[in-house]
Amino acid sequence: MSMDRGQREGDEVLLMGNEAIARGALEAGVQVAAGYPGTPSSEIIETLSRFAETGKLYVEWSTNEKVAMETAAAASFAGLRSLCVMKQNGVNVASDFLLHLAGSGTRAGMILITCDDPGALSSVNEGESRHFARLMEIPLLEPADFQEAKEMTRWAFTLSEEIRNIVMVRSVTRMSHASGNVILGALPPAVRKAEFLCDGAVSDPERGPVISAPVIEKHRLQQEKIRKAAAIFEKSPFNAYSGPERPELLIITSSACRLYSLEAVSLLDAEDRVGILKLGTTWPLPPALLKRVLSTTEKILIVEEVLPFLEEQVKILAAEQVREIGVKTFYGKNDGALPMAGELNPDLAMAAVGRILGIDPPVLSSAYRKKLRAFAGLAPRREQTFCPGCPHRASYWSIREALQRDGRGGFVCGDIGCYAMASLFPAAGFYTAKTLHAMGSGTGLASGFGKLGSFGMDQPIIAVCGDSTFYHAAIPALINAVHQNANIIFIALDNNGTAMTGFQSHPGIDINAMGDASPVVDIAALCGAIGAKVVVGDPFALQETRETLNRLMEGQQGVKVLILKQSCALSPEKKGTKRYLMQVDDALCRGDACGCNRLCTRIFRCPGLLWNREKKKAQIDEVICAGCGVCAGICPAEAIRCEEAAKS
Amino acid sequence: MRETERKADSSEEEKVQGGQRELEERVLRTGFCTGCGACVNLCPYQASYRDRTVILHHCDLAQGRCFAFCPRTPADLTDMKSRFYDEADLTHELGAVKGFFIARAAQEGNRRRSQHGGVVTALMTLALREGLIDAAVLTEKGEELLPRAVTVSEPEAAAQLGGSRFVVSPTVAEFNRALRTDCRRIGVVATPCQALAIAKMRLQPLAAAESGMDRLKLVVGLFCGWALSWRPLTDILREKTDLAAVIGMDIPPSRYHTLEVYMPEETARFSLDEITPCVRESCRSCADMTAEFSDLSVGSARLPEGWEAARLWNQVIVRTKRGRDLLELARRRGVLEFREVPAGNLEKLKAASLNKKKAANRPQGQSGAGDRMGQAG
Ligand SMILES: Cc1cc2nc3c(=O)[nH]c(=O)nc-3n(C[C@H](O)[C@H](O)[C@H](O)COP(=O)(O)OP(=O)(O)OC[C@H]3O[C@@H](n4cnc5c(N)ncnc54)[C@H](O)[C@@H]3O)c2cc1C
Ligand code: SF4
Ligand code: SF4
Repeated sequence: MSMDRGQREGDEVLLMGNEAIARGALEAGVQVAAGYPGTPSSEIIETLSRFAETGKLYVEWSTNEKVAMETAAAASFAGLRSLCVMKQNGVNVASDFLLHLAGSGTRAGMILITCDDPGALSSVNEGESRHFARLMEIPLLEPADFQEAKEMTRWAFTLSEEIRNIVMVRSVTRMSHASGNVILGALPPAVRKAEFLCDGAVSDPERGPVISAPVIEKHRLQQEKIRKAAAIFEKSPFNAYSGPERPELLIITSSACRLYSLEAVSLLDAEDRVGILKLGTTWPLPPALLKRVLSTTEKILIVEEVLPFLEEQVKILAAEQVREIGVKTFYGKNDGALPMAGELNPDLAMAAVGRILGIDPPVLSSAYRKKLRAFAGLAPRREQTFCPGCPHRASYWSIREALQRDGRGGFVCGDIGCYAMASLFPAAGFYTAKTLHAMGSGTGLASGFGKLGSFGMDQPIIAVCGDSTFYHAAIPALINAVHQNANIIFIALDNNGTAMTGFQSHPGIDINAMGDASPVVDIAALCGAIGAKVVVGDPFALQETRETLNRLMEGQQGVKVLILKQSCALSPEKKGTKRYLMQVDDALCRGDACGCNRLCTRIFRCPGLLWNREKKKAQIDEVICAGCGVCAGICPAEAIRCEEAAKS
Repeated sequence: MRETERKADSSEEEKVQGGQRELEERVLRTGFCTGCGACVNLCPYQASYRDRTVILHHCDLAQGRCFAFCPRTPADLTDMKSRFYDEADLTHELGAVKGFFIARAAQEGNRRRSQHGGVVTALMTLALREGLIDAAVLTEKGEELLPRAVTVSEPEAAAQLGGSRFVVSPTVAEFNRALRTDCRRIGVVATPCQALAIAKMRLQPLAAAESGMDRLKLVVGLFCGWALSWRPLTDILREKTDLAAVIGMDIPPSRYHTLEVYMPEETARFSLDEITPCVRESCRSCADMTAEFSDLSVGSARLPEGWEAARLWNQVIVRTKRGRDLLELARRRGVLEFREVPAGNLEKLKAASLNKKKAANRPQGQSGAGDRMGQAG
């Protein structure tokens, strides 16, 4: 079930958290939405793009999060409700603009939606966006269920207009990607017209220029807005206490942790001893509400994921009000009751509550445990690797061979995208990729490594970068490398789409988020224009790629760009079609004997190739094989044959 | 049945066993690799790149042909010699010696394209023309002083490929490749390390049968003092010469103490002090100067008339019946001409060869590769 145009007000539909957020924005009359793909946030823009309509709703995948926020802010300045969406670390990218935007203030309602990933289920960091709210002094809202996700998003626009500043709504993976029933509200009919009124004085919030200066004055104004938000939060229905009047233990929680807390208390049968204050408005905290609730108990446990954000705020309020509410004992991150890294779950919450109250957690029956173990055993153990037919496998194969041939200890600086797997699971990239940080950082690191030649470093340096990442943040680093004459090879792994997050469009693709035709920004032309030497190749041509790379490693100083172009195996144009029908000739396959030792299934490891233990020969898994034909080129015995598949 | 077979096998191969891991640990990482290419083109795991042998991917077999064939893995050389050569011919200094000659190609044109007297080229061309072999694994000039190993089947083509390349050529890798083609009678021109690798291949019962080592019909060995490493050599040469213009090189006897680099218009000279550091690490511990595992071996001559005359002649050690038959055929066909061996030549050669054997056993860093060279003929 998902959202569609046929649904009406009052319908109860099963929505994914991200869809509920998108629905809330639509009900608020959002007119401009911009984002950069990143798990777990991507479905919000995808859902909104299905509702895009000229003059009513514009949706875009921007080149990066900062540009997305700027795009949305422009709409707000011009009087249209807008939002921008990103994953946690995207806020880092946007934060420079966010700092200034929070200072200048907004006009029509504007919200920032961030989806955090505690436990780093789809990230290479456990960054927390909540802290940005405090750092930038903007209000923070955190939904705890699906209905609330929708209502809160809708209300965030109202709040934004009330305080004339951006409001942050933060979700987490378990909220964004889980589904629940949501009762729909009405979609507003009226649409506003865009006009940026800017002929007034700086001090005129309606018609003046929108800037963060005069800084001190604007900063004071911003802080006034935050106090106003705190006052509004005192009465917010998103904050709710449930439990006994004078609980033995008070849990303060928010977001997905509310459910973990409820479950923990119920599993321990401690409903009459524990109260839960669930907060939806988590920054700034409403002091009066907190004072009231804190007064009811001595012991307080704060249940939240990763860092002690709420915990610290609550402690500050408690310290400020200690005369009125008395001395409290706090449990949470700082005393080790709950872990400060990784996701939380009901078990962890239960253990913490149990320890504080001296209740032994219930023991699972041994039969039940056995069953659990049996289920766990049923799931096939899968190796993390590239898909069958993935161009990255072929690219890394050639990179590995070129580096090994060169022999000077060269390495790859990895970057963010599917191809990051080469850093995370070394075998996936044949042990070539040795660094992995933020988007575009592979190129920046390479640029730095590429200047260490004068200190005796002669290892060849390769930066890899996907097409989407190229536009996102690699360009400034690449320009730096060119300008500094850094000695590097920059490989654009151009698979024609933002493959990892689900083929969102980007500037290299001729349609935009709404499916309309768009001009293409050509990577090769751009690299050429900044003065790099550019070679374009096909990663499936293994030998040619390897030769090119060795030539570039031996070649002149400076930045050499190799663009390896081949669509992702799962791309809409390729998926389900096979270029070749593959077959292994048993008579030729050398199997595990000296002379091959299973190069294809032991080293190359495309999931389309299987090792037949009985025959001791390799074999193609016809269901899985994508028919790319690459493995035929690595087999030393020419036992893997490809036959052109008939076009259907 | 199968069990007993395996047992018999393993007891036979008890002596030395290893796979890629051991090859890497003992040879490739320690600088003992000669770049011969014996471990290349057998499997996808090693490759020759420039003058180095590199591991592309890791192989985890406990036993591999790479390790077995490599000239730098342990082998009982005395035992090997007694299997290939007449016991009566074996000498401590030079291996088997059935005959010792001073010879050169009869045709002046042949000599001009050759390093010294052109004996090697003349013999390979003759062997092809007479059908003794149908493929010759030779070395040709490649780009930027990087030699290329090639297999030729036309006598005319072989006649063009004279001249010594002082950077190693992956000859045995090319031989491995040739074994997979339908050549039926293969001849190889090999440096001492390459000749040893090929001899080890012949002694591997399984591998030899599988790959058809019986198609190996001729090994002409080259005397060898040492070979040079490509990267440092070209770094030095580039300063004084245009690499593309270099047509040849030689090292005259030791008192000249130079490397001569020939170009169409001029000859550049480099002091051996400058060149010795470029000597391939593995050559410093090599004990074979005369390619003891060949059918016949050829080097430059030493004559009382001095180097200018001597450089147009070769010394030839005949080691096997096959070698002798070929040399006699060449004499009969008038392809080679001979002159009397000056008194004391064989003794001088033995002394030079012994010098290399001694230097090879000296602790690292003291090997006198530089002066050995001049005495090598
Ligand atoms: C690295 C090296 C070091 C040598 N050191 C000495 C020495 O110290 N003392 C000495 O007397 N002689 C040495 N020689 C041999 C000498 O240079 C001549 O090759 C030999 O005298 C035969 O001369 P020729 O005129 O008959 O050869 P040519 O008729 O010119 O034939 C030369 C043959 O050598 C082959 N060849 C060329 N380069 C290589 C290579 N790198 N690897 C394998 N085969 C190759 C060619 O395929 C050709 O068949 C050395 C040769 C090499 C390649
Ligand atoms: S052709 Fe080979 S490499 Fe390509 S998907 Fe099939 S099995 Fe994998
Ligand atoms: S010496 Fe020859 S066989 Fe041994 S590792 Fe080097 S190239 Fe391989």
